[in-house]
Amino acid sequence: MPVNSSSQDSSFRGEILAGFLAPHPPHLVYGENPPQNKPRSQGGWENLRWAYQQCREKIKALKPDVILVHSPHWQTVVGHHVLHVPHLSGLSVDPIFPHLFQYEFSMDVDVELASAIAEEAIQEGLLAKKMTNPQFRVDYGTIVSLHMLNPDWDIPVVGISANNSPYYFSHDVAQDQMIKLGRATQKAIEKTGRRAVLAASNTLSHLHFDREPDCPEDMSQEHVFSHAQYLYDMRVIELMRQGNLDELMAILPDFMEKTFAEVKAGSLVWMLAAMGFPTMPAQIHGYGTVIGTGNVVAEWDLTTARVAEVLTR
Amino acid sequence: MNSNIEKAFWLPGLAHLALGPAENWTDLKHAMTRAGESALAVKPDVYILYSAQWISVLGHSFQLDPNPSGIHVDENWHELGNLNFSFPVDVALTKRVMNFAEQAGLATKGVNYPGFPIDTGSLVFQHFFNPNGDIPVVILSSNIYCGKDDSMALGHAVSQALADSKQRAVVACVSSLSNRFLTEDISPVQDRFSSPEEDHWNQKMLTLFQSASYEEALRLSETYAKEASPEMMFKAFYWLMGVLEDKASRSAISSSSIPPAFLHHYGPLWGTGAAVLEWK
Repeated sequence: MPVNSSSQDSSFRGEILAGFLAPHPPHLVYGENPPQNKPRSQGGWENLRWAYQQCREKIKALKPDVILVHSPHWQTVVGHHVLHVPHLSGLSVDPIFPHLFQYEFSMDVDVELASAIAEEAIQEGLLAKKMTNPQFRVDYGTIVSLHMLNPDWDIPVVGISANNSPYYFSHDVAQDQMIKLGRATQKAIEKTGRRAVLAASNTLSHLHFDREPDCPEDMSQEHVFSHAQYLYDMRVIELMRQGNLDELMAILPDFMEKTFAEVKAGSLVWMLAAMGFPTMPAQIHGYGTVIGTGNVVAEWDLTTARVAEVLTR
Repeated sequence: MNSNIEKAFWLPGLAHLALGPAENWTDLKHAMTRAGESALAVKPDVYILYSAQWISVLGHSFQLDPNPSGIHVDENWHELGNLNFSFPVDVALTKRVMNFAEQAGLATKGVNYPGFPIDTGSLVFQHFFNPNGDIPVVILSSNIYCGKDDSMALGHAVSQALADSKQRAVVACVSSLSNRFLTEDISPVQDRFSSPEEDHWNQKMLTLFQSASYEEALRLSETYAKEASPEMMFKAFYWLMGVLEDKASRSAISSSSIPPAFLHHYGPLWGTGAAVLEWK
């Protein structure tokens, strides 16, 4: 699919249409049995899969030029990387759950936007790189989030790596990097005239069981890792529902420490920063556990926020 | 030391050793080449490889594909190019190790899937130790939730399986010592340890290995893990001790027959502590 359609006229000031918190347990793709994935299931994790179904309809209606995803499972230690090959395809097998995820991926990459993000990130003082190797195996985090949001794969994508700074530096330094990366993403979208949807590929609480049932989709065995973890997930989700991002940002370090939350990888903060930390309530499409982890599918629809802003002027 | 084990090695596993300009990190590459030649000289029946870069969470994973093959691109240093690979796996011996590990109460999981991502560290090992891809390998993962005792038990399962099968093996673990990377782009001549303290702690451990003071190394290992952030919290060392000690009891290490390590080379590799060690 060409990525330079007429709607991607750089004289048009691009915008972010919506952002989705889009967790990536491979179980969700496995539960759906799409033709791209080899293992077959009897279903499972429907509450999360149905939540994604609502997002799919929304994205179809928004007609974005591109979906951008920040994935914790493309870990880079030197800089923030962007996929920069026009078309990537191959087999991606999850190293942790290979029995659930053996996915034949095929994706068109918006390399013009990817370039712009890298350039803007450098302007922000970050180290940024373009991944230009056509043999690169795209990680399952990127693929799961993108598949669950758009299984037709008919919208170009930009994949962004999770730089390991949260694990190397203090929380403040790491979050500062993600805020700069978000700002760079937003500027790149504006300058290239793209109408973009963002996806933060993060689970919330991330403590999980290290043994799975013989039948992985046996939902009688699926439950949250601990009550404390569940309560903290609910606290975080409630702040999202209230649009109280100030408090959300304030409790993130404690949330990460207490629940091993995957948002530590930076995807959520990247997305919120790109959207300018919107104070609108997030729409919660669904919450569910996967092998004990807490996952929420949430949406920030900036188009309705803009309409509301115009009406109140 | 188990008489079936001819030699053992501790090795770094970053892509720069197998890919990129020949003139980069030459001392480390030469050390890896010498170590690989030393291993090949004993014509082992099998290699046993523990890679700290193959991380598992559902217990301990074992490669069961009889012939993994394909192309691997490093997720961070993708610009260095491709690692092409094809090598045999000793499936029978792997299953024997799994059996002993399960008897020790460890969770095991065999993987046999086309396209399964073999980690960079395992392929750097293949590059230097198995250049013709003709020596069968047993590959084990590094379980993120595994502590010292379970890591040693996993090593002991390897030793038991080798004694049982009577195969002559070379054992290797691929793991950095200190594992904090420099987070900026560097040229090889700019390479340095991420901190002098980490270098100091690495050298302390290397001195203990070279003097066969393994009991002291084990005593200090948790402090070392805190101070120097070794890869996967130094699990590879515990595993190796479990493989090399003669008895099931960890106390055997104090009077063990594990020989002193020979240090081929030690230096920084993108800020991490890279050591090429050999036990004969």
